[in-house]
Amino acid sequence: MKLSSTTLAMLLADSRLPVGAHVVSNGLEAALRGGMAPELAPEYMCARMATTVLVEAGTAIVTRALVAAGEIERIARVRSEWEARTPSRALREIAIALGDGLARMGRTVWPESLLAGSLPARGLPRPLVLGVLAAEQGLEAGDLARLVAYEDAQTVAAALLKLEPLDPATAVRWALEACEYFEAYAPSVTVLTEPEAIPAFSGPQIEEWAEAHTSLERRLFRA
Amino acid sequence: MPDTLSPEVAPDTAETNRSLRLGIAGPVGVGKSSLIATICRALADELQIGVITNDIYTDEDARFLRSAGVLDPERIRAVETGACPHTAIRDDVTANLFAVEELERDFAPLDLVLVESGGDNLTATFSPALIDAQLFVLDVAGGGDVARKGGPGIGRADLLIVNKTDLAPYVGVDVEQMVADATAAREGGPVLALARDDEKAIAELRSWLLELLATHRAGQHVPQDPGPMAPHFHADENGGYIHSHEGEHAH
Repeated sequence: MKLSSTTLAMLLADSRLPVGAHVVSNGLEAALRGGMAPELAPEYMCARMATTVLVEAGTAIVTRALVAAGEIERIARVRSEWEARTPSRALREIAIALGDGLARMGRTVWPESLLAGSLPARGLPRPLVLGVLAAEQGLEAGDLARLVAYEDAQTVAAALLKLEPLDPATAVRWALEACEYFEAYAPSVTVLTEPEAIPAFSGPQIEEWAEAHTSLERRLFRA
Repeated sequence: MPDTLSPEVAPDTAETNRSLRLGIAGPVGVGKSSLIATICRALADELQIGVITNDIYTDEDARFLRSAGVLDPERIRAVETGACPHTAIRDDVTANLFAVEELERDFAPLDLVLVESGGDNLTATFSPALIDAQLFVLDVAGGGDVARKGGPGIGRADLLIVNKTDLAPYVGVDVEQMVADATAAREGGPVLALARDDEKAIAELRSWLLELLATHRAGQHVPQDPGPMAPHFHADENGGYIHSHEGEHAH
């Protein structure tokens, strides 16, 4: 199967993709329950761009580079570096649940993928699975980084419309402003090739909320 | 610590330990969770059973079932549906498939896995990609006319349960009529009137399930999709016909 990078980006960013991702709010529900005012959602999206999104995008980009270079054995190192930058167990677990879902789809759509071969069937975080698919199917590095950023903001925006409804177009605008904010970081992430170089910015408040969320009663989203 | 890609869970072995996967769908409050408790009580002595619940809010149904004491609590697991219970059983079954496979692996060999849908509406049915057969549950307290209204689950689930028949005198519903309406809506498909303490009906349910399991094990059971729409009537000059959208068809 030969697809353009554009088509792949559209596919992977599509919320209709059957990969079990509709159960997450990217921490927005946890943030709101933790006391964040809904009108701060745009700042929340941008804060993620400067922290967790850089870690995720960097992980995906480096995985892509290693797979493209045939250095499959070094993917394990990427995973370790991602884990070290994701200290919250709750955040690791949801990233792996989403990675499992994406890998399941990837194995069926592209049976020749490493995801159906030498890589384990379960337990890879989503950015790592994205990186593998990007390398194998031809999603360009710049598109991959922006995919991670766009998907992150749109997930928050869609969850916001369920949790604190507002004019839906306003949420779209906020998501795009967050994507624009990410543009300042995109060039430096896109060129990464070494696992140790993955950005290591953390969002301690996001991590704390994520942990608290796991024990909340009556939550609408899993994370 | 050395870098490793070994997953935090063991690889799937689901295909070697494949259970009969049975979906339980129906609107909110019709007694899906208590029906699962009834099935467990009726069959737990002879079958290895697991349960997956789908909740809109966290794991309330799972907690109800665990507290009912009908099954080892570890065999009851909850899938969170992110406010989309319909999606999680039909157009994106990913999370439920993982949950079923993990349960089958952790308690292999399981005979039967019951998957309870989050209470939704009359149009919510399971995808055959997730389950092998499905029950659709209504109750008399929801109104005697609901069966007549139809819908894919009412029309074509493998078995329709009319639950809480013991309440019929209190809500003014004629159970026989409701069952007759349901049978007509299903074009003769099976309908079972049930109450929690109705031993005869529970025995019928038990036989139906065991027969289904035998057919499944013999490789003769083919999962059927109730479809997204009910069969419905078209008037035409020959007097009209009922059809069920199995082929291509534009209105």
